[in-house]
Amino acid sequence: MIMYSIVPLDDIFNGIENNKPNQEIELNGVIMQVQPMNAYQAKVVRLISPNPQDYLNPAYSPGQIIYFQPQLQSK
Amino acid sequence: MEKYKFLHLTHTMKDSFKDGRIEIMYNTRNQKTNEVPANEQIKNPTVENIQQLGQNSTLQEESNIFCMTIIGQVEGHMVLPPQNKTTKYEHIIPQLVAAEQNSKVEGILIILNTVGGDVEAGLAIAEMIATMSKPTVTIVLGGGHSIGVPIAVSSDYSIIAETATMTIHPIRLNGLVIGVPQTFEYLDKMQERVVKFVMEHSNITEEKFKELMFKTGELTRDIGTTVIGPDAVSYGLIDKVGGLSDATKQLNERIEEYRKAKNGGMVQ
Repeated sequence: MIMYSIVPLDDIFNGIENNKPNQEIELNGVIMQVQPMNAYQAKVVRLISPNPQDYLNPAYSPGQIIYFQPQLQSK
Repeated sequence: MEKYKFLHLTHTMKDSFKDGRIEIMYNTRNQKTNEVPANEQIKNPTVENIQQLGQNSTLQEESNIFCMTIIGQVEGHMVLPPQNKTTKYEHIIPQLVAAEQNSKVEGILIILNTVGGDVEAGLAIAEMIATMSKPTVTIVLGGGHSIGVPIAVSSDYSIIAETATMTIHPIRLNGLVIGVPQTFEYLDKMQERVVKFVMEHSNITEEKFKELMFKTGELTRDIGTTVIGPDAVSYGLIDKVGGLSDATKQLNERIEEYRKAKNGGMVQ
């Protein structure tokens, strides 16, 4: 990968080792990568969908927060 | 002083600001109890979008223009650390596909204010814009540097703001001296892709573009040139110096032509 930028590379890549991995989930049939914020919320980072119109759906747009609930399971 | 006062507004004063834009700018928590006031839950969705996404990217039903902003670094193969403001390849490309396919979208306005970024991602975005059937207009505001140059020239018509700049400089792996001939060859090839694209999609000649790219004495720690609005037009890189009204006028004219062509009428 080659960066062609006026910003020095040191400034661009500073702190890259702290990047947290994304989690992959499926919401209403659309696979998306999310960044967990806490136990109940996650932020949409990226969509993985073959349907281009999904990318225009404001509900799935990157930065949107999705909510979920932990489910208790008894063995 | 103003800023200081603003940050120390207490939540009892908050009710006087019904506008969501104010709400997000200061801490609304009660300092003593650390409780979140109940009405903080109600948030303006537009504000949320701007806060979270850096842009309001939702397609408005009533608009026939798809507006796309490319700001910060163009991010491609690597996820950049959070201090970078990035425009991500995998968001832009499918949106362009959707805009091309969506029958409600008749024209695309691309607003650029970028410091550059990944060569391959930038060229991919530029190629996508260049090969769209719908009318495209780009407008450079602030800066369209490095890989922003091919993106700026990729549209049917490009506009640059009077004060906007574009930095044209050589491509390199990092600040180190290139030591190995093979590396030089590789970089030269990468560079050739950018030069060729810019040449094919604007009126600048290869000689002029390379002259700007390798100019010494203009950038403090680098070779290259900073091209300001009117200069970009005089070199043939950009079509016109202008602003929003010029961009919408151009786009609307082109949409009219596109409609006529689509309906089988004569294109004037």
